[in-house]
Amino acid sequence: MAVEYVITAFAAMLIMMIVGLPIAVAMAAVGIIGGVAVYGAPFMNSISPVIWGVQNNSLLTSIPLFVLLGELLLRAGIADGMYKSLSVWLGRLPGGLLHSNIGTCALFAATSGSSVATAATVGTVALPSLNERNYKMSKSLGSLAAGGALGILIPPSVNLIIYGSLTNTSIGQLFVGGVVPGILLTLLFMAFIAASSIFDKTDVKHETKASWAERWKSSVDLIPPLVIFLIVMGSIYSGLATATESAALGVVAALFFTALKKRCTWSILQACFIQTARVSGMILLIITAAFILNLTISLTGVAEAMSAWVTSLGLSTVGFLLALVVFYLILGMFMDVLSMQVATIPITYPMSQALGIDPVWFGIFVVMMCELGLITPPVGMNLFVVQGIRPDNGSISDVMKGAVPFVALMLVFTLALIAIPQIVTWLPNLMKPA
Amino acid sequence: MQNRIETLLATTFGVMFLGLSLFITVEVLLRKLFGISLDGSYELGGYALAIGSTLSFTLALFGRSHIRIDIIHERLPAIAKAVLNTLSAILLASFAALMGYLAWSVIADTLDYHAVSQTPWATPLIYPQSLWYAGQAIFMIAAIYLALKACWLLLKGRTSELNEMYQPKSIKQELEEELDSLKVRTATPNTTPQEHN
Amino acid sequence: DNMQWKALGQPLATGPILQNQEKPFFENFAQRTGLPIDVDFKPVDTTGIKDTEQLRMLKAGLFDVVSLRVSPNSRDEPALLGLDLVGLNPDYATARKVADAYVPVLDKQLQKRFNTKLLTVWPFGPQILFCNAPIKSFSDIKGLKVRVYDQSLAKFVESMGATPVPISFPDVHQSLSMGVIDCAITGPASANSAGWPEVATHQLPLGMGIALNGYAVSLKAWNSLSEAQQAKMQAAFDKLSTDIWAYSESLYDDAISCNSGGECSTGNKFNLVNVEPTASDFELVNDALVNISLPGWAAICDASSDDCSANWKASVGPIIGLE
Ligand code: NA
Ligand code: NA
Repeated sequence: MAVEYVITAFAAMLIMMIVGLPIAVAMAAVGIIGGVAVYGAPFMNSISPVIWGVQNNSLLTSIPLFVLLGELLLRAGIADGMYKSLSVWLGRLPGGLLHSNIGTCALFAATSGSSVATAATVGTVALPSLNERNYKMSKSLGSLAAGGALGILIPPSVNLIIYGSLTNTSIGQLFVGGVVPGILLTLLFMAFIAASSIFDKTDVKHETKASWAERWKSSVDLIPPLVIFLIVMGSIYSGLATATESAALGVVAALFFTALKKRCTWSILQACFIQTARVSGMILLIITAAFILNLTISLTGVAEAMSAWVTSLGLSTVGFLLALVVFYLILGMFMDVLSMQVATIPITYPMSQALGIDPVWFGIFVVMMCELGLITPPVGMNLFVVQGIRPDNGSISDVMKGAVPFVALMLVFTLALIAIPQIVTWLPNLMKPA
Repeated sequence: MQNRIETLLATTFGVMFLGLSLFITVEVLLRKLFGISLDGSYELGGYALAIGSTLSFTLALFGRSHIRIDIIHERLPAIAKAVLNTLSAILLASFAALMGYLAWSVIADTLDYHAVSQTPWATPLIYPQSLWYAGQAIFMIAAIYLALKACWLLLKGRTSELNEMYQPKSIKQELEEELDSLKVRTATPNTTPQEHN
Repeated sequence: DNMQWKALGQPLATGPILQNQEKPFFENFAQRTGLPIDVDFKPVDTTGIKDTEQLRMLKAGLFDVVSLRVSPNSRDEPALLGLDLVGLNPDYATARKVADAYVPVLDKQLQKRFNTKLLTVWPFGPQILFCNAPIKSFSDIKGLKVRVYDQSLAKFVESMGATPVPISFPDVHQSLSMGVIDCAITGPASANSAGWPEVATHQLPLGMGIALNGYAVSLKAWNSLSEAQQAKMQAAFDKLSTDIWAYSESLYDDAISCNSGGECSTGNKFNLVNVEPTASDFELVNDALVNISLPGWAAICDASSDDCSANWKASVGPIIGLE
């Protein structure tokens, strides 16, 4: 399989996507046309077992379950309360409420599969009070966009499930692998906010001190996300449950908290159901298409050809990864991250394996690259989201300006992951063998 | 009509996954506390996904949630938008029709082989697969209907109506929906005036 | 120019049989068979195809050769399971006899239904009993709690007077040490690498099953060969199969020896008591086969094709003393 054909097909797919045809169709079309061109009619016949195989794959059952879990918490109003309580806890730090932005996003990200929902929800609660207290708008917006992006790294993460299903990597291991980098990146963001607040004299320093009684009283809303995170991650880490089972446990816990908040009404459930179904349907159709494309890629030896090509360039592992960082950074500027992920993994994953890179590590790396895509202009989902909810009428360049330092931090952090892969692999390696 | 279908499909979808979650929770607890295994969540989860995913395809179709990138699209003149929107609807319908056809061949084989799952339950595969096929067929019919409607609107020259109905949902729209639902959820759950303090 | 064939292999994580036998065979196919054929070999999991779908893929005609996994594919062809009913293959020698007798029957069935020719079958190895209780023979499991991995094994164990407990593989270690279960069944190498001997005291090398797999070729590909070429190909696969049978047995013997403190080249050394199965153990298992496993399977298989169990009895029956 000549590299030129591969690049042509990949380019054709990107063009179909960029002119605005449905992503899933663009992928399926390239997969089917490529497969039939090489193998003729038998290829068509062999897609049907693949379609049933994907849609009957109980690993992927965790996707609608985690989306439902996030929806329930969102509509129970729990994220809203979390912000207030974290403000009381973290407001004293230099940078004040900006820490609550990051903290709430990180905590909510840990239960919700979607970073857009995270940024939207937290932003709606946060921005009015930030505006009122004269926090710099660009910093506020940037910290929200970046905080929202944490959602796909801190488990549960739909993006990690997709990576796991496309590469046969244990989803439990991937989730556990995301914990330490997720916490470190959160701390890195907060350290940056503190530092920049200390050096920037024009900025608000911090909030007034809250009493301990106030702190504890406001912490009620921190309990549900913490409990759910502990249920999901604890059951996976201890080997009590598979990723799909942990999602089910999380849904039941979320249902319980929704009921506690007296929001377990039929209309709220209906709203959760329809939103969960729309999001899952969008994801699952793309995954179905991705498996068709993956079959073509695997059978035609595209991955081997590309791996051989990369090897022939004489790249070292570090060189390969740095090249990928550039590749994903550029792709992520223009592409939606989900499409970017499913379109590239079938090719980049085998290359990474040819170089002996740890599959869990590579999964975290790819998801980091997706996170970057969420906050890089011109197409950055989270940038648009926070711009859409800001209370003043400023230009989107404020958001982009605010996001730039976080892009830089993520890049630095990615380099740290490359230099010290144990940041990712240490925790999963401690897990019981499954 | 479309609303009622949406409500029906979404309720089926949601109740199915809530039910699955409860079943799995019971199974995990029984396994951990008493060492008893119902040994069915793996299998049941797979069937729930198969049926649920086809329902969700249709709901995403009605909600215009199947992703399309609108970076170029939103800068095009109305007629070009209309053509692209129609083309997208046709392609989506073709993919749905292809999946419907392929799903049929899966069913045909299953019937032919009397396929039975290799699990403790030994489920005749035709039960979950016929529901899966039904979901696939609904998606196919809905997608073809929407594609035909788009073609008709295009031929009649009703481009603005067409674009209104078919253009990819912009982030703005998605956000508005999200914020609307936020308003609903931040309102007090109990709407009766509070009598006590 | 050589013909280009496509082969679907065992999953990547299968272990030494894939790495040392199957993969080298397909990667040097022209040389091993003496036929002008190059094979593009893909482990099944790298294609995103599930192993339950192998027969359908063969029928679809995209793949020419498949390393067929018996248990998952018995979903579509229950007759396959007749190769490895619980209790049918207590050791390698019996399994070999069963395979020789039953492969022609299966071949005919697969040709008819799936446009596929079954060339040969081979075993991963016996699934044996490990206990954290002093047992002297198989009948001693009576009254004990035994971990099982599927329903037919559960029924089988129950008929021995034991309590079947379905527990997932990763939980077995802890369950054995805490006394939730007394015994568990798996292959000796898997038990060794999962550390079961740390929490067990006895092993009884009597196979509940032997985990068979086969090589199958699509009739489209097979019929494109001349008769002489077909003979060559059959011979090459027979040779591969013979090699795997021997290799599998040597891996098995080594694992048994590792677990019981003997010589050990591939695993960790442990000190289990090795309980040699007695003649009455074999009889007991054979009875349970005839009275429990066989009727259960025959009902499912005959529902799929009328003469299924009759064909089985005619070919395999004499080996287990059925008339
Ligand atoms: Na998350
Ligand atoms: Na971007």
